[in-house]
Amino acid sequence: MVDSPTLTKKFQKELNAGIASLVLLSVMDNSDEPMYGYQIAKLLDDYSGETSFMKQGALYPVLRQLESSGLLESKVEPSVSGPPRRYYEITAEGKETLVVWQGVWKQMKSFVDKAIKGA
Amino acid sequence: MIKSIEEYLHQLKTELQGSDPATIQDALSDAEEHLRVALANSRENQPEKSDEEALNSIIEQYGSPAETASAYGEVERRTVPQLSRENPKTESVVARFFGVYTDARAWGALLYMLIAFVTGVFYFTWAVTGFSLSVSFAIFIFGLPFALLFFISVRGLALLEGRLVEGLLGIRMPRRPLFTQQNLKWFERLKELAMDRHTWFSILYMLIQFVLGTIYFVLFVTVLSISLSFIAIPVLQELFNLPTIQVGEGVRYFFPTWSYPLLVIGGILLWTIFMNLARGIGQLHGRMAKSLLVTD
Repeated sequence: MVDSPTLTKKFQKELNAGIASLVLLSVMDNSDEPMYGYQIAKLLDDYSGETSFMKQGALYPVLRQLESSGLLESKVEPSVSGPPRRYYEITAEGKETLVVWQGVWKQMKSFVDKAIKGA
Repeated sequence: MIKSIEEYLHQLKTELQGSDPATIQDALSDAEEHLRVALANSRENQPEKSDEEALNSIIEQYGSPAETASAYGEVERRTVPQLSRENPKTESVVARFFGVYTDARAWGALLYMLIAFVTGVFYFTWAVTGFSLSVSFAIFIFGLPFALLFFISVRGLALLEGRLVEGLLGIRMPRRPLFTQQNLKWFERLKELAMDRHTWFSILYMLIQFVLGTIYFVLFVTVLSISLSFIAIPVLQELFNLPTIQVGEGVRYFFPTWSYPLLVIGGILLWTIFMNLARGIGQLHGRMAKSLLVTD
């Protein structure tokens, strides 16, 4: 018997691993001002609607990874209420990389679509 | 059922056991920020919900401690600090000995040895001044707040030093400040900081760095100048007619021409040995910094 839910979950996770970077970088590129983790998570919730693609907690390590590769930069700012927040912003390098990545994604998408349709 | 943010962080810490201490610190600080902001938001928008209910739906979206821990583990496996990537192993001892010139960690360690002198003097001054002022101000009304500021600055400097160590020595260090409970009164915060081993270890590190920084700097400058003088002897003697040793006006000692190649080779060898040594010192220093500056 194939354990389909587990396999699907694993498949989803593997897909997310690459796409999360593209999605987060795009979100930061579209935003005019720096955003903090919770804001980003909320925005992605709006995009994904009913189905949630990844846990919000999984966004943070990706943000950190993008920062350590120099595609994002961040600064901590105190907030009026609650704990200080880490605001992320896309770097010039990040913008350049994003253009390339979006190209890769387009090619990938049409390739996968063709493979699924079989045309 | 998780009842409080502290409980979540505690479970997350347990789940992350065995990971790099620096990763744990980062994960805890990210989770704390998110949960607190989300909880504050929910209090504002859905005041009818109890904190416990709100927290549970927030965690449902954020991910359980186990899920969050695995997300960090996965990203951590994919990203290794840049300098810690091992050079491909070469077979011969000679190739490995001279391969030090292509090793970013060796150059990073050299730079660190220079910088450690400056930071060491600064840390030492800061720690000694801050500590003695904190103690002597204790009899005044502003004494305790002053001590709190000093402790907080120590934490900040520890984080900064961590970034230097990771950047130059390639040892993974925390990228986020240590999480703290936000709802504490300033006096409780002071008590918490003063009771924390981590604060005192950081101060100890700041004192040690002064001694080590001086030693590193002296080593660096001494070996560099000796190596360079050996290499430069042929040029100085032949082109500028400068003797290697001169006593008064009369005695001028020149190395014989046949010894030039030996002198140059000696100078280069000395510097190469030092580069290897510096790489080792850097790794040792990084390990010490990690054990003093990162909480486990």
